[in-house]
Amino acid sequence: MIKLLKIEFKKILTYKIFWTLTGLYFVFLSLGLLMAEFMINNIVDNMNKHLPIPIPHVTIYFFPWVWQNIAFFATIRYVLIFPAIVIIILITNEFTFKTIRQNVINGMSKAEIISSKLLLIMLISLIMTVLLTIGTFIIGVAHTSDLTFSMVAEKSAFIIGFFITMLTFQVFALFFGFILRNTGLSIALFTLYVFIVEPILYHFLKSPIVFKNNISPYLPVNSVLSVTEYPSIQVLKNIMGLNLQDSISVSACLIPLGYAALMIGIVYCVLVKKDL
Amino acid sequence: METVLSIKNISKRYGKIQAVNGLSLDVKKGQVFGILGPNGSGKTTTLSVILDLIRANSGSFQWFGHDPDKESRKRIGSVIESPNFFPYLSPVINLKIVADIKDLGYEDIDRVLMLTGLFERRNTRFKTFSFGMKQRLAVASALLGNPDVLILDEPTNGLDPQGIAHIRELILQIAGEGTTIIIASHLLDEIQKICSHVAVLNKGKKLFDGKVSEVLAISDSFELSATNIELLISTIKFHPAYLSLTPGAESIQVFFKDTVHPEELNRFFYQNGVILTHLSERKRSLEQHFLELLDNNK
Repeated sequence: MIKLLKIEFKKILTYKIFWTLTGLYFVFLSLGLLMAEFMINNIVDNMNKHLPIPIPHVTIYFFPWVWQNIAFFATIRYVLIFPAIVIIILITNEFTFKTIRQNVINGMSKAEIISSKLLLIMLISLIMTVLLTIGTFIIGVAHTSDLTFSMVAEKSAFIIGFFITMLTFQVFALFFGFILRNTGLSIALFTLYVFIVEPILYHFLKSPIVFKNNISPYLPVNSVLSVTEYPSIQVLKNIMGLNLQDSISVSACLIPLGYAALMIGIVYCVLVKKDL
Repeated sequence: METVLSIKNISKRYGKIQAVNGLSLDVKKGQVFGILGPNGSGKTTTLSVILDLIRANSGSFQWFGHDPDKESRKRIGSVIESPNFFPYLSPVINLKIVADIKDLGYEDIDRVLMLTGLFERRNTRFKTFSFGMKQRLAVASALLGNPDVLILDEPTNGLDPQGIAHIRELILQIAGEGTTIIIASHLLDEIQKICSHVAVLNKGKKLFDGKVSEVLAISDSFELSATNIELLISTIKFHPAYLSLTPGAESIQVFFKDTVHPEELNRFFYQNGVILTHLSERKRSLEQHFLELLDNNK
């Protein structure tokens, strides 16, 4: 295991595209976080024009809600796409450069080839989770008065939700990379599926005419994004009476994990059967 | 002698094309085994099968006396088709990845880079290399950790004459140390210069195999000229190894049944009172040689 990670680490250490795209994820996330509060308060201001008693301005970065809110913004599809593209590039590179052939020739099994990429995904997700935890903690401390330990601990399970979302979304990307083997095609089709195909499918399947039971929440990308489905904005919740997500549910985590396991299985079968 | 590689009745089909057709081979320890054949004869497909890159439709093979697995591949150094490395990484990092996979230390890297003349460029990125340098890095990677078997697919392809000479010298040196070597090539000349044993493939089928000296022991032709061409023609027909001749305007081309040395030929004419004005040995193309091999086997 350490050996496989050592090999993967050599491939990314001086790879500019890896660091650029990973950096872009954090840049866009930071911009999103900076704008989120501003935009929500913009809506509040607009609403206040028509209300007799104005709603107070919203803050979303205080404990314990900061865990849920940052985990939500860090897993919207517009930012998640960056680490996914990184994984697609790292996998399809092996086919473009034919290094996957060379690795097999040199004595790697096909199971080891998939494991090495999975281990890399786990490591990337773990490091991102650690960074996000530190960042969220600092933001939370700066925005919370009368800080207590229980306030910090309360919603911290959302960090696990972030990790699972990050992990499974990258496994989806791995699936596209290993099946299509071509960098441009994989990125194009993955992006198309995430932003266009599945949202259309989601609305189509939601209609009761198609299926009696609504199966659209079980679509792969939707199931991943549902782990941290909504931000928690208490004021809006109370006033508008929305019944939004309050905690991470185990079943919501199991669906994307199940998809990930299935995709890894398919990738393994295809890789073993198909010539390199 | 210990059998290093044993191929039994391997076939591989790509759609309508039968790339390899019931091929069986045995390579023994210490042999320098050539696989000779024109482009598309199934050489690379065969090598890809025995390295687990592609699955044969039927047949089996064994490395070192047992069924192949990743551990047996770690004992083999290979250069297949194009050199495959990460373009944005230096040769040293690329070789470290190879060493990691093969469970080797890094201490052998400098040696193979020096052997292939790439030590000076060890820290420049692979994509800045010329094709010849890339090919040499592939050879360096195959040599890493002194493998028991070396597999080389067209090892001198795309190299300049100096590079070709260098790689051939290297192969002979490694063969001299007792390493088993398997070389695929379409160059008859290359196989003759390097190999001890050869298998000749055409359209995925094995035509012959055996010692190079036996399989390829048909002499090349000679171009001859003399002031008196008539006498030259009538004299040559008495040569014990004479096979046939093609007359030309200024000279004649003569084919022999066995290997004939130019010196011996010259002496033969001199002793028979013919003074040659021109004598040159003609290498035949592989295609010609094939046709001959095929004809002889009918």
